[in-house]
Amino acid sequence: MKISTLLRKMRKSKLFMIGFFMLFAITVSCFTSRWWVQWDSQVSDLMSRLGAPDWFANGLSGHPFGADPLGRDILSRLFEGGWVSLKITFLVTLSSMILGSVVGLIAGYYGGWVDMVLMRLCDILSSIPQLMLAICVVAILGTNMFNLIFTMSVTGWVSTARLVRAAVFGCKNKEFVSASKVMGASGFRILWKEIFPNTITPLMISASGHFGGTILLETSLSYLGMGVPVPVPSWGNMISDGRSYITSAPWVVIVPGIALMMTVLAFNFIGDGVRDILDPKNIN
Amino acid sequence: MGGPVCENSLICRLEKVMKKYIFKRLLASIVVLIGVSIIAFVLVRLGGGDPARMMAGDTATEAEVEEMRIRMGLDKSWPEQYVTYIKGVLKGDLGYSWNYSMEVTTLLATRLPQTLILSLFGFCWACLFSVIFGMVAGIKQGTIVDFGAMMFAVIGQSMSTVWLGFLLILVFGVKLGWLPIQGMGSLKHIIMPGLCVGFGYAASQTRLMRSSIVDVMREDYVTAARARGISKGVTYMKYAFRNALLPIVTSIGVQFGTLFAGAVVVENIFNWPGMGALLTQSIGARDYQLVQSILLISSVTLVCSNFLADLLYTVVDPRISFR
Repeated sequence: MKISTLLRKMRKSKLFMIGFFMLFAITVSCFTSRWWVQWDSQVSDLMSRLGAPDWFANGLSGHPFGADPLGRDILSRLFEGGWVSLKITFLVTLSSMILGSVVGLIAGYYGGWVDMVLMRLCDILSSIPQLMLAICVVAILGTNMFNLIFTMSVTGWVSTARLVRAAVFGCKNKEFVSASKVMGASGFRILWKEIFPNTITPLMISASGHFGGTILLETSLSYLGMGVPVPVPSWGNMISDGRSYITSAPWVVIVPGIALMMTVLAFNFIGDGVRDILDPKNIN
Repeated sequence: MGGPVCENSLICRLEKVMKKYIFKRLLASIVVLIGVSIIAFVLVRLGGGDPARMMAGDTATEAEVEEMRIRMGLDKSWPEQYVTYIKGVLKGDLGYSWNYSMEVTTLLATRLPQTLILSLFGFCWACLFSVIFGMVAGIKQGTIVDFGAMMFAVIGQSMSTVWLGFLLILVFGVKLGWLPIQGMGSLKHIIMPGLCVGFGYAASQTRLMRSSIVDVMREDYVTAARARGISKGVTYMKYAFRNALLPIVTSIGVQFGTLFAGAVVVENIFNWPGMGALLTQSIGARDYQLVQSILLISSVTLVCSNFLADLLYTVVDPRISFR
């Protein structure tokens, strides 16, 4: 598919555009928040502990969404935490896609025992629930940002590898691959230049569906004390840390939860849109 | 000539499928489970931390720690430990949990059923709800029911389980005071965690069921059935429903596994005394035998549910047979 056709289809897909603009707004406001929020997200002010939201009555210099148990401004934490969560999601998705496509390409192209071994490894990994595996790996490595990203990537590439492998099977016996072979291209070159471009479509579908799940997984890990370590905020740890205050200060939990939901919603819309646009089954 | 008398009966079909298929699948499952057991075994040992030192206590001398290590069987090499573990597993002995001072088998015998009850409850309500809601939405396209179903699907898939759990606690546990917020005992206790476990699944399945019904309703055989004068109700139930169910059944196996794993978090939120709560506690304590057994049992559950879903698939769709 040509880039111009793709862009036109994207513009025409309502779902994709809604998701795209939601995500764009969220990303931009999270990224730029460091210049316009009035409070430091990690400095506590015990006078305003669990302060109720004043809903912009005092503009940005008040606490529009209230303050958390340590008196930190929730609005500032919301945007900074959002940026952390988005960064993690992006990095995890990117690295799972890379890992998944490398395994899928190698398994699909070389076939035989290489394929057998790699696919059995996929079978084994996919028969341990991702969350449980992630808990164990984080517990082993210790909780920090890098380990979190590493763990979620290492446990989340299997479905991508399977999709890519299937796509490779679909094209590895085509004429253009044989032509490249006859011309003496190396295995790596054939994989990279000839076969990989043909796996982009399933890869994009897989990636677009991957974002939402990753953010939700981070929240679950945070709740179990294995997410982004404090005091750096993330939506996951903001929700989890509010547990004890849910009756006295529900905003501590509700605000980041809504932000998280909107973001996952945007990712899901984009994912559905991408599927509609790229999936050959939806051609008409 | 001379084929089985019950060519088309359900049980007979199932039997035929099973003979060829079960053997192959069992073999593959065994390979997978051996792999899982190795991964689980290595994973817990890579974690650093010295369980013998933890058990012996901070004040123990080197000699005491060494003695404890020998008692725990950790002085042997990894392959030896693995062989001992697997020999035990084959005999139904999952080892000894040093942290809880009891047999892992005994411990899990009390915890596993709780997790299964919770996951099955979540799974059943989600299946029933999504099939009915999705079907009604698909049949009554463009109505308020359809809109409601889509909203439920979209929002349900975007919600974090943790957040949903907190909201349920806040609304039904604290504000309305209808349901107990933690522990187990009565039927009331299972409602909130059960809702929480099945929510995401119900949302995605509602959507799947709706789109599936919409697709099926466009098929010629539905039009043909209506043209033959068969009533709407019979057409929906006999023709549309069964065919629309196929994509749902396909995903059941994988989905049950996801749901089962999701219970880890839900159990921790609602203090449900299941396996998930046990897992998070035992990892911190470096309770090797317990952690690797929990991982192994989870994947056995997953492999079994995939297997059952495949068999169910052949029952629902007579066109599919496994060879």
